[in-house]
Amino acid sequence: MNPSALLQFLISGMNLGCIYAAIGLGLFVVYSVTRVLNLAQGEFVMLGGMLTVSLLRMGIPLLPTLLLAVVITAFVGAFLYQVIIYPARNSSGSTHVFLTAGFAFSLEGIALLVWGWGDRGLPNFLNSPNIHLWGATIFGQTPWIVVSTLIMVIGLFLFYSRTIQGKALRACADQPLGARIVGISTEKMALFSFMLAAALGAISGAVITPLTMTSYGVGLPLTVKGMLAAFIGGLNKAEGVIVGGIVLGLAEAMSAGLMPSGYYEVIALSALILVFLCRPRGLVTTQSEV
Amino acid sequence: MEISKVVEILKRQQSTKILLLLCILFFMPLLNNLYLNTIVISIGFYSIVTMGFILLMGFAGQISLGQAIFFGLGAYISGILAVKYDISPWLTLVLATVTTGCIAMLLGRAIFRLRGLIVGGITLALNLVFFNLVQSMSGITGGATGMMNIPQLPSGGFMSYSLFIYYVVWLSVILLLVFSLNLVNSRVGRALKAMNLFSGGSDVTAQVMGINIMKYKAGIFAVSAMFASLAGSIYAHYISCIEPATFGVSYSVMIAIMAILGGLSSPWGALLGAALIVGITELLREIIPLFTGGTTGAYELIAYGFILMATLRYLPSGMISVFNRLTKLGDKSSTEVISP
Repeated sequence: MNPSALLQFLISGMNLGCIYAAIGLGLFVVYSVTRVLNLAQGEFVMLGGMLTVSLLRMGIPLLPTLLLAVVITAFVGAFLYQVIIYPARNSSGSTHVFLTAGFAFSLEGIALLVWGWGDRGLPNFLNSPNIHLWGATIFGQTPWIVVSTLIMVIGLFLFYSRTIQGKALRACADQPLGARIVGISTEKMALFSFMLAAALGAISGAVITPLTMTSYGVGLPLTVKGMLAAFIGGLNKAEGVIVGGIVLGLAEAMSAGLMPSGYYEVIALSALILVFLCRPRGLVTTQSEV
Repeated sequence: MEISKVVEILKRQQSTKILLLLCILFFMPLLNNLYLNTIVISIGFYSIVTMGFILLMGFAGQISLGQAIFFGLGAYISGILAVKYDISPWLTLVLATVTTGCIAMLLGRAIFRLRGLIVGGITLALNLVFFNLVQSMSGITGGATGMMNIPQLPSGGFMSYSLFIYYVVWLSVILLLVFSLNLVNSRVGRALKAMNLFSGGSDVTAQVMGINIMKYKAGIFAVSAMFASLAGSIYAHYISCIEPATFGVSYSVMIAIMAILGGLSSPWGALLGAALIVGITELLREIIPLFTGGTTGAYELIAYGFILMATLRYLPSGMISVFNRLTKLGDKSSTEVISP
């Protein structure tokens, strides 16, 4: 296989991988603090993209648009927690999962109402052009995707390790009772985690739309893939989730390039499911952590 | 004995409910309303698949968001056997159901090594894989445009085809209902309940009692899959052309909504949930265009999501608990409340 084709696959894989990693991160943030598997995570991504399209169309410049899209989506996330999850906090985990599924459905319906059936696209941010390198094409949006994902990852890492709120979040994740004993409000942390996950989703949604377009129905498949990525990496470790996302992205890109067309999603997803079934604890966690 | 005592006893028997159902079903076609027939057939299909889901989630406590996979497998296998290999449609029903059961058994063995919510996640992912697989294999399945010209089930020709399907579907519903009700009250049913987190059991509880949880989990998964598959096969021969979009993730979520709305504690919940959701859908399709004159797909989505959230929040045991309380038609087994 010639090197420029390989390079092309790697680039596509990185693009996809960043998105799946971001979704997985959003799932991780919520799950680690609240033990809720948020099936509406993909909808946050969809909202981020859709809102960006609409706001730009209204003539608002790029940076305020992105900020607004993120803030609005964060509030949707807050709504999900405060109005839907919190009142049911004493119910079982599966109730929470179904609640988020119901919310996702309703969000899809609302998106369909507001934006209709069609795909929405965006021009590359600042109209970055495609770069041709060694026979492969780096799509103009790719630097934005990779950079924003890096910022999210590093930002999250710094947040968790250097700030008080981040440490409080980790405390809630590791030991909710202990956290409450030292005065951390687990409810506030849960609310914050939902907003954070929504914001992360929105950023990745906005950033991927120039490349892949967005429509009302992209939410569920993205959630499923992001979830698979998170499981593969090990839902308990942030690093694992990112690795999982990249792995899924690369698997999809490789399958798309090397296999008869159309089967790539099947191959990538099945391969990952198989890996997961063989190694349920994920690729990154060690035997001692579960 | 006094009449009231007889009535009391009758009220508590499941057989009474079934007889009532049979009466309603028998008289329904006499109304000669084609629209009503179509809706009731639709409710029938959903009831079968949802019953499978309730057996899996309500009794064994396993979350599976993949019923669409087996509904689709039933439809496509039956369709392919009939179209490509000219096998008699009735035979394809049997073959498809058995094949799906085996596949589900194998899948179950692999999946149920995991515990908890992750099972739901994996079934969701498998659903997505199935959907993409069907879409990609255009040579065999007709791809995104679907498979056409699936032959009808031979009916002997003495009634209209849709009436025939009506009887086929609802006869299946009744048979499977009786099967499920018996299963629930049997040794198998009790073993499943012991595993069920929602009714106070757990994997450990069951294991301590000597129950082989893997065997039962995979088994009930297969049974639930066969329910869905049977419905799918009949559906294929009814609709005559099937497309992948029907068997996506949304279908599985819809089934879950019907099950939760109806009530997970009894197979009757499947009928109730299916009837309610189909009814509400039709209602929306009548009413919404009066206000907006557009298609109702968006409102349906919003409504389904809303129903799911509202039911889980305010009535987690489903409508069947309301029904039982109002009519006191319950018996011993339906007074236990199984809710997520």
